[in-house]
Amino acid sequence: MSSLNRDRLRALMAEVLAAQGKELPADESAVLQEFGFRSLDFSELALRVEDELDTELNFEAAGLRQVRTVADVLDLLEEIQAA
Amino acid sequence: MSAVGHPREGVGDNRVVDAARGTVTAWRDLPTVELSGPTVAAVRRSADAAAYVAAHTRSGEELLVVAADRLTADLRQECLDLGLAVETTGDGEPTREEPPQPRPSEPGRIWLLTSGSTGRPKRVAHTLDSLATVGGAQPPRRWLCPYSPGTYAWWQVMTLVATAPGQDVVVVDPHDLDAWPEAALEHGVTAASGTPTFWRQSIMRSADTLRRLPLEQVTLGGEPVDQAILDQVRELFPAARVSWIYASSEAGASIVVHDGVAGFPLEWVGRRTPGRVAIEIEGEELVLTSPHGAEGLTGPLRTGDRVEVADGRVRIVGRIDRDEINVGGTKVSAGVVRETLLAHPDVRWAAVRGRTAPMVGSVVVAEVVLHDTADETTAGQALRDWCADRLPDAAVPRRIAVRPEIPLKETLKSDV
Repeated sequence: MSSLNRDRLRALMAEVLAAQGKELPADESAVLQEFGFRSLDFSELALRVEDELDTELNFEAAGLRQVRTVADVLDLLEEIQAA
Repeated sequence: MSAVGHPREGVGDNRVVDAARGTVTAWRDLPTVELSGPTVAAVRRSADAAAYVAAHTRSGEELLVVAADRLTADLRQECLDLGLAVETTGDGEPTREEPPQPRPSEPGRIWLLTSGSTGRPKRVAHTLDSLATVGGAQPPRRWLCPYSPGTYAWWQVMTLVATAPGQDVVVVDPHDLDAWPEAALEHGVTAASGTPTFWRQSIMRSADTLRRLPLEQVTLGGEPVDQAILDQVRELFPAARVSWIYASSEAGASIVVHDGVAGFPLEWVGRRTPGRVAIEIEGEELVLTSPHGAEGLTGPLRTGDRVEVADGRVRIVGRIDRDEINVGGTKVSAGVVRETLLAHPDVRWAAVRGRTAPMVGSVVVAEVVLHDTADETTAGQALRDWCADRLPDAAVPRRIAVRPEIPLKETLKSDV
């Protein structure tokens, strides 16, 4: 399966926020809650990744974890693509 | 008076126009079909079925009409096992297969097949009287019949022609639908009935031709009817009466609205008038007790359709089992989201569904067909903003795909 690199994932995350008039902070340690990236936004990001890859992601492969920062989101999506 | 064995008076001059063949035949001159016992008429062309309807009005013999390509092998065998012969029309003489155990007809019985959009087609029992729901003298009209033979909507048009003087029909087969506006113009159609999807697709393809049609009556039904399509039809046919109708094989024609506004007045709920449908709302579900219902339907019918009440109107927004999208525990009505999209001036057609997503279970996604003047590159964001201004956050479509054409099934629906 092809995969999206971290830069592309970041760009898609920025698109999700831009659609709501928000900006993605440059710092990957930025806390999601503080710039308004919510569960629905994460879901949308996942769909954007799926659409770009034309495949369904298996989030169960990642197990339970806390997703708190920009880095957490990008790490998770990278890991799931590799699974 | 019962329909059994009693051809209706004054309908002999009614005309059946076969748009594909260009033929015009008076009802009294339709090819003579002798129904000998319970029969399935599996027709290649919708117009071929008119002769079977005429035969039924004469004889009262049991009849089921179906498009030949809808008669699956299983369904065919089921009908044979139930004692119905299967007659299939084609270019030559019809072929007939007799049932293994022939039986006499149940007098006056007409079988309908449900559309099958929810799975296996189901037989529903009617008679000509239960199908002929239009009462009183009708102004002379030439109707378009674009429906698949044997469906409830098809019977609604055909029973009008079979029972009411001055009613002609121009029959267009579902696979020839693209050219219906030209055929309607050529054959002088003055009344047309179709689903909202049918009208949307027709307007998109042939608005200029449609504008030239001298329509006096436009009817929409078979799917939730939104304000945007009512307005478009009104604009296109300013001289026509625009009606929407709620009907189903089981409930019959139950709600008819002529005021050009989506939904029906809230005061109709709970009203009791002898001979008319009683409307109730249980939870969010439309419940009907109909005098035009199928046989065996004696009590209230839970329709499975979800309603929303706002501004004194009751709007039917979609099927309960398909309408609800659970977005992270928040219930979203796909029908309401769809109506919101359709209210945008750039949108011709919309479909809304839930799509599996992490964290929230499902998110709302949509497909749209845009007007030619719309900018496809900016439409997604514009529509999202439009919805965000009008809907709760969870109901805003997170992905909006633009399609080039409106999809249309043989039922004239698009399962939105």
